[in-house]
Amino acid sequence: MTLFRKNVLSALAYLLTMIAATHGQANRIDVMLPLHQGSVRFAVISDSGTGDKEQYEVAKEMEAYRAAVKYDFVIMLGDNIYGGHGADDFLRKFELPYKSLLDADVKFYASLGNHDDPNIERLYKPFNMNGERYYTFKKGDTQFFALDSNYMDAKQLTWLEQNLRSSNARWKICFFHHPLYNDGKSHGPDLDLRNQLSPLLKSYGVNVVFSGHEHAYERIKPQDGIYYFVQGDSGKLVRHDFHRRDVTETSFDKDRTFLLIEINGDELFYQAVSRSGETVDFGKLTRQ
Amino acid sequence: MRLQRTNPGSAVRPIAVLLMFCVFAVAQKPPTVGTPDAGIVGGFEAKVKQYVDFRDRTVGRQQKATDNPGQILSNQREMANKLRVARAGAKQGEIFSPEVTQYFKKQIAASLAGSHGAQIRSSLKHAEPVKMELQVNQGYPASQPLQSTPPTLLLNLPELPDGLEYRLMNRELVLRDTQVNLVVDYVPNALPESMP
Repeated sequence: MTLFRKNVLSALAYLLTMIAATHGQANRIDVMLPLHQGSVRFAVISDSGTGDKEQYEVAKEMEAYRAAVKYDFVIMLGDNIYGGHGADDFLRKFELPYKSLLDADVKFYASLGNHDDPNIERLYKPFNMNGERYYTFKKGDTQFFALDSNYMDAKQLTWLEQNLRSSNARWKICFFHHPLYNDGKSHGPDLDLRNQLSPLLKSYGVNVVFSGHEHAYERIKPQDGIYYFVQGDSGKLVRHDFHRRDVTETSFDKDRTFLLIEINGDELFYQAVSRSGETVDFGKLTRQ
Repeated sequence: MRLQRTNPGSAVRPIAVLLMFCVFAVAQKPPTVGTPDAGIVGGFEAKVKQYVDFRDRTVGRQQKATDNPGQILSNQREMANKLRVARAGAKQGEIFSPEVTQYFKKQIAASLAGSHGAQIRSSLKHAEPVKMELQVNQGYPASQPLQSTPPTLLLNLPELPDGLEYRLMNRELVLRDTQVNLVVDYVPNALPESMP
């Protein structure tokens, strides 16, 4: 990347950050999580990597909440980088919008969406994928399973089955791009993926599933004792996306969002926050 | 009071696990040894292995993780160019020979007509269309979304070694080298024009 191009990009990003900052200053931080001592806290974003003003504004709000909530990692549900995958794309669509979080040592754990380039992103250190398309990590008594829902082959299903079976974590959380349940108009649920994944999730006691892809926020009625969230609007948004309410508990499709999660003992607290800082959904789930 | 840890569906777990393995077993059942299909699959796997060995000899193994995405991309391009030159004469059908193509089409048709056919078709309909003209040795453009491949379909196709994958691109089934992002070969019109 030429120095000129880098400077132009940095200037553009600075401008977007300033706009986002001005936008953010007007907002009130309204933490709905109990913030128990020693709890596991993280944020959830998806379909974020546009490099547009709205992504920067969501990122600004995430930073404001980080200061209050003190979450130390973020899970990414895919479509982390839209379009090209050159150095300037990673700069504009990830490193600059989340600069303050990265500077504060907040770790990002990515899963792959259909707009991601698996071979580049899994090798990109800040995404913490360790060169793998799917992987697992533990935080406290919670184990996370990042899956590649673009390519759910026999190898990945076997890997998931073995890792779920050997996990003794209190909470088992899977995250991947394509939702198994969803009432959105633009994509809807991936039924064949559901066919293959649901029996595993159910049999091995997965508690929560986070997915993106649908560009809106949706909390699903528990299915087979599993809580499902669809959160695909941290950069992209489809307004008026919901046309039915077969499985939806609640939904929001008027603005971009991110999700805050706190896990303490057998309780999980969630708070969905919009780009303008408005809390659009919050509550508590008990481990089933 | 500490809640007793419960396992959801513990009473039905053994049955569910058994059922799950039955589903996998049916989906992944390889052709019976000694049948013509087993010979075709064996031949296909041998050609795939030959390709992987050739690729590894020509460009080496996977890169290491780095903070620099530009470096990852330029390494990938360099490897792809090297391999493209080394396989300059490669043509469609070298790995997907006519009999292998027939076998794949048969497997795909069986998946679509099977008990999960409706869900596979539904998943395919949700995929974002890809706009590109397919050519062997061509890179997959980063600006195009990767069409997800329905898992039940994958389970009915021969397993691939690491670094290779099947991708549907509209009606075509592509054998893609993920390490260098190149189209190795493809099956034209792998999906029927009008799906059952």
